[in-house]
Amino acid sequence: MTLIASPPPGAKATRNHPKKESLFQRIRNGSAWITILTIVVIVVLWQIIPQTGLINRVLFPTFTDTVAAFVQLLGSSYWWGDLTKTMSAVGIAWVIGVAFGFAMGVALGTSPFVRTAITPYAIAVQALPKVVLAPLLIGWLGFGSESKIALAVIICFFPVWIDTMVGLSLPSANEFKLLQSLKASKRQVFLKLQLPTAIPLIMVGVKHALLLAFTGVIVAEILAASDGGLGTLAKEFASQLNMGMTYAVVFVVVIIAVTLVSIADVVERRVVFWSEESRARKR
Amino acid sequence: MTITTQTSPLVKAEGITKIFGTGDKEMVALSGLNLEVKEGEFLSLLGPSGCGKSTALNIMGGLLRATEGTITFGGEPMTEPRRQIGMMFQQAVMFPWRTTLENVLLPVEIFGESKKEFKPKAQELLSMVGISEFENSYPWQLSGGMQQRAALARVLLHDPKLLLLDEPFGALDEFTRETMNQELLRLQNYANSTAVLVTHNITEAVFMSDRIAVMSARPGRLVGILEVPFDRPRRPELQTTNDFIKLVAEARSMLELQ
Repeated sequence: MTLIASPPPGAKATRNHPKKESLFQRIRNGSAWITILTIVVIVVLWQIIPQTGLINRVLFPTFTDTVAAFVQLLGSSYWWGDLTKTMSAVGIAWVIGVAFGFAMGVALGTSPFVRTAITPYAIAVQALPKVVLAPLLIGWLGFGSESKIALAVIICFFPVWIDTMVGLSLPSANEFKLLQSLKASKRQVFLKLQLPTAIPLIMVGVKHALLLAFTGVIVAEILAASDGGLGTLAKEFASQLNMGMTYAVVFVVVIIAVTLVSIADVVERRVVFWSEESRARKR
Repeated sequence: MTITTQTSPLVKAEGITKIFGTGDKEMVALSGLNLEVKEGEFLSLLGPSGCGKSTALNIMGGLLRATEGTITFGGEPMTEPRRQIGMMFQQAVMFPWRTTLENVLLPVEIFGESKKEFKPKAQELLSMVGISEFENSYPWQLSGGMQQRAALARVLLHDPKLLLLDEPFGALDEFTRETMNQELLRLQNYANSTAVLVTHNITEAVFMSDRIAVMSARPGRLVGILEVPFDRPRRPELQTTNDFIKLVAEARSMLELQ
């Protein structure tokens, strides 16, 4: 009897990664013209319509007016300080929110007792439009960065909490059984099975939290203007009817948001290289 | 090869009853099962779904406690999973964030042993099951059959005295399944371990086993034991012989299928 088996029939590595084309590839294939055409059409309409008088140019500046305002904003003395204020608040709120959400998720995901005790409140908090807490937080914490960060934390921790809790319950019965048959401790089951299984979902929550923290900070800045930041800038420019500058601030916010999401996507693909979604996106 | 060595049984189950739920939702999964597993034998638990065969296996593995009755392993009462007992399930249960080799070494981590020490053995087992060139691949890069080969390597890493197999190849296609069954017999013989296989496939049970415990459903109970006297190693051609077909028919009649 031979003990070293030859490669068995039916044993072949299956590696099917549905390809998603990069922009560069699409340009080469010629399918990118649709995207480019759409952008060109939007820019041209944006430039022409305010000039026709069809809509008020003061309220809806043209594309070139907006670009000029954008350049002016980046050249201004206050811009860097406001950007730093907003982004540091987002960073702090995000870290606190993720840490808190993760801790809550682990507590609820591993202890049925805690889950039963807290679930009704969790549902109530989930249903609440959390922005309504802003006046309360400003009342408690003042107009400074504390209330800003507090609102952002309250808005952003929720998806991390829920995704962690759900993620920890994702392993199949057989996966639990395997570890049980090896007499794994609760701690080992958590570290070797539940946590790794939950990570793809937790990453989704963490990504989501990043944008929610950004939203929370900007909303707080618009509501409580004394601390500065991009939200305050946008509000002040709008109240001066300086719409070009308001647009420019919105532009900046869009660029930051897209950049944050892109960075988060790259990190996610590295961390959870095994998950269905990230495998499909890899070349 | 002598199969009927007269020693005390490795596993002895007496009057095993398992009831799930209480009150109106009470469900008797197993009723008064008496069963002995002899050292070195290959025993199959054969029956329709709902006959409690998987429940019986989980009780033997210490994953479930019997509601009534006693079960011993090597003379000692079974109360919890043991390292000398290895279990395989219908899915390979490979963690996608670990390479094949890391998956095979999982028990070493759980037992708190040195991975370095076990690595050569894990690699040897991977080559024995024919997938050594995939030790650094991830499970999702392997076919279902190859994943089960890796699972086989993992369960053999600690030289289990008893293998508990819960339809391990049930999710594979017929051809792969037959190959895997051959592999299983070869490795069980090599590892010199006792095996209990849960299956609802009569031909498979007859081909693999020294004895078949035929069970019936609702409530799950033992109908009888069928001895399978064929020599080992068993070749696939065995399945077309008259004696084999006769035994399959006998198993069918015990299952009241005819």
